[in-house]
Amino acid sequence: MTELNQTDLRVLTTGNKRAWDTFVAAAAPVINAVVRRAMAAYRLGEEDVMDAAQDVFVRLCANDFRLLKTYDPARAGLGTWLAVVSRSAAVDHARRRRQSTLPIDDVPEAALAVEDRHVEKIKIPQGLLTDRQTLILKCLYDEERDVAEVALLLKIDAQTVRSTHHKALLRLRAHFGEEPP
Amino acid sequence: MSTERTPRTDKELWQSLAPDRDVAPGAISDLDFAAWLEGRLPEAVAAQIDAAVAADPELRRAAFDLADVLGKPLPAVPVRMAVRAQALVGFDAERQSGRGSGFLGRLFSSGTRYAVQRAAMAAMAIMIAGTGFVVGGGLGESFAQQRYGSDVTQATSSEASTELTDFSDGI
Repeated sequence: MTELNQTDLRVLTTGNKRAWDTFVAAAAPVINAVVRRAMAAYRLGEEDVMDAAQDVFVRLCANDFRLLKTYDPARAGLGTWLAVVSRSAAVDHARRRRQSTLPIDDVPEAALAVEDRHVEKIKIPQGLLTDRQTLILKCLYDEERDVAEVALLLKIDAQTVRSTHHKALLRLRAHFGEEPP
Repeated sequence: MSTERTPRTDKELWQSLAPDRDVAPGAISDLDFAAWLEGRLPEAVAAQIDAAVAADPELRRAAFDLADVLGKPLPAVPVRMAVRAQALVGFDAERQSGRGSGFLGRLFSSGTRYAVQRAAMAAMAIMIAGTGFVVGGGLGESFAQQRYGSDVTQATSSEASTELTDFSDGI
């Protein structure tokens, strides 16, 4: 990643062959890892992984490096930005192949549950929870992620996740008159 | 029979509720999403991404995948993947970015390797061609040969025509 963040984008986007080769060598590990992860859900083979990775590189250099020129080092690391771009290209590629077969064990229970349409959910009033509190509750309960995963995602301590969760639940219980269990 | 309600667990309570805003507030750019994943955004901007990620299950899945991949050592890359990608940008592109577009520009551009060796080879080829030309008699010799050759042809053709006249007269 360090090598990648030292990429001279000005030289790279002039079409310099050596700069491109160096960039490919530095970027390939992150692109490969992200593409493999994104494609795993679609159960596609090695050739599709190779093609999707190639799609990412094509997107980066197409139209006189237009996509690469939109990257701003002041806003995010090149590796992270490439990871975001790669995932989106890999998902597009996989969808084009139309072989979405996610193993049932990998799907959160909440996603498989058939909702009883007769049970009307009570709306949480706007402003009762912050966006961060809502996100943490969604990650913990809808996505069934553990506290460590949420902490890694949000770049905060596990303790902060627990305390944000606790405060959110206190607010909800107080608002809806629910006793703690 | 007791009418007292058993207190619901946190999860049960959450699942009985619906957030006020379950529609993504708008598309977020790749750069903003990357900055959010790195925890670089100011609180107000981060809150907008928090809301978008909370509202969109696909975005949440993407966020967890990316955080997981970026938080671990990266696996080795197949050689073929890098070779194919490197082939996307060829020497044509480099030539365009060189100093000159002609032969000399290409020869002495900073991106061209072995420029001195190439120049020496070109000079040697010119020298050999020149020497061969001089030793072979140059242009004067070839003109002379051409002229001599045409005289011989003319003489041969006039002799042949006389012979033909003699032959027809005999008939």
